Amino acid sequence: MAFTVNVNGIPQTVDVDADTPLLWVLRDVLGISGTKFGCGVALCGACTVHVDGVPVRSCVTPVSAVGEKAVTTIEAVGETPIGKALQQAWLELDVVQCGYCQSGQIMSAAALLARTPKPTDDDIDQTMSGNVCRCGTYQRIRAAIHLAAK
Amino acid sequence: MSEPSSIALDRRSFIKAGAALAGSLIIDFAIPLGECPAFAQTAPAPFAPNAFIRIDRQGVVTLVMPMVEMGQGVYTAMAMLLAEELEVGLDQVRLEHAPPDDALYANAILQSQTTGLSSTIRAFWMPLRQAGAMARTMLVAAAAKQWSVDVEGCRARRGAVEHAASSRRLVYGELVDAAAMLPVPAREGVALKPLDAMSLIGTSVKRLEGPEKIDGRTEFGIDVRLPGMKIAAIAVSPVLGGRATRVNERAALAVRGVRQIVNIDEAVSVVADHMWAARKGLKAAAIEWNDGPNATVDMGTVVRQLEEAARHPGAVARNEGDVDKALAGAAQRLDAVYQMPFLAHAAMEPMNCTVHYTKDGCDLWLGRRPRRGRRVWWPT
Repeated sequence: MAFTVNVNGIPQTVDVDADTPLLWVLRDVLGISGTKFGCGVALCGACTVHVDGVPVRSCVTPVSAVGEKAVTTIEAVGETPIGKALQQAWLELDVVQCGYCQSGQIMSAAALLARTPKPTDDDIDQTMSGNVCRCGTYQRIRAAIHLAAK
Repeated sequence: MSEPSSIALDRRSFIKAGAALAGSLIIDFAIPLGECPAFAQTAPAPFAPNAFIRIDRQGVVTLVMPMVEMGQGVYTAMAMLLAEELEVGLDQVRLEHAPPDDALYANAILQSQTTGLSSTIRAFWMPLRQAGAMARTMLVAAAAKQWSVDVEGCRARRGAVEHAASSRRLVYGELVDAAAMLPVPAREGVALKPLDAMSLIGTSVKRLEGPEKIDGRTEFGIDVRLPGMKIAAIAVSPVLGGRATRVNERAALAVRGVRQIVNIDEAVSVVADHMWAARKGLKAAAIEWNDGPNATVDMGTVVRQLEEAARHPGAVARNEGDVDKALAGAAQRLDAVYQMPFLAHAAMEPMNCTVHYTKDGCDLWLGRRPRRGRRVWWPT
């Protein structure tokens, strides 16, 4: 079945089953690989993207549920003021280690700041607890979100 | 690319496990490197005094990283060792991953081009500094020769050679052709910077590959894409030694996008156009397993086997002094048994592997960015 998805401002038509998760449409069909596969069951947050500004776990979001809403991925989040501020803060504090989870971390953080421009530690912990990092970069992530919020 | 054929790979036949290295699992694909097709080596540069450094006429300094970056920071640390002695700033270099080549890039402690055991800096502390110093020595000599002055009066700094007495300066890019004509100094004899003259080593610098990890540009192993590539989902027998007794291939093949079912008894793979089709196909295959001879083995069985084995004399790894005598005369004696359960370690990315099987050989992409790599390392 053909679906038109609007990824980072570009409408693209894909021919897949209706239940195909947005993650695999992005990665395997469209070749946009910055969004990562971690667990496939919405437990790790690595696949987080925005759909009309709302953070979703793309591994459990069927393409048929996305419609023509605006999908934003890590490749384009830097074009928003919040995304850019986060990426700069991420570099300033040297947040990443292996980097595999960081696309999802930044997408979740961007959604948090859009909703809560000056988050407290508790706000950050609550929102970001769904994004797992095997390197344990949590302390720097929290500090970088505070820095970006300034 | 042709469709992947049914390849019955017996993994025991080509994996050798380096389990002898305590506390770490290092697995080496023992495919003789010579059997693999020769990949195009990196573009020729006018000045490449050793396998770790290339400088082109525009002055672009490329540092070749022999070990794999997995978040532990070795890309930055190895670059610091090279840049310190080469006298270039970290803002003046670009990094490239080394091709697989034990002769050029082996870790001296692990005796192969393998990343692990926290050994990178210990193994490469001298070789990378020497590599940088060799190149710097040649560039300084080339400048001195051009100016007809003593090398002692010349100094390398931030990618250029300076002669203070005459206020002359040549950047590395202008020196590469002349430097390439000079004899390469012996690695062991090359003059290294004294420790108190270090300007990079000993400082805290930002991770060099950081910028490409915050916007999705980094290519992890799972991101490798080859023309015509298919994606497979694999189910492996949940019990070692078990085998698939029933696979509904017809149902799996009926899933749109599924191309092929590969059944090697201990594992079943569904090959498809994309991961979702492969996973749906695997589910549709409704595999039934016969657990085989280990069907009833549980953790208790394994612990009992280990306890039993521990009662017998084992292999002696090292023997210093007279333990029996020392224990006999000891004022206090402690006995303790330590047991560790099986643990799934935190892999960097979901286990994945890209295989390009040709009539000439088999190329594998694994882990983080071993471009053209044919080695595997699971971080522990």
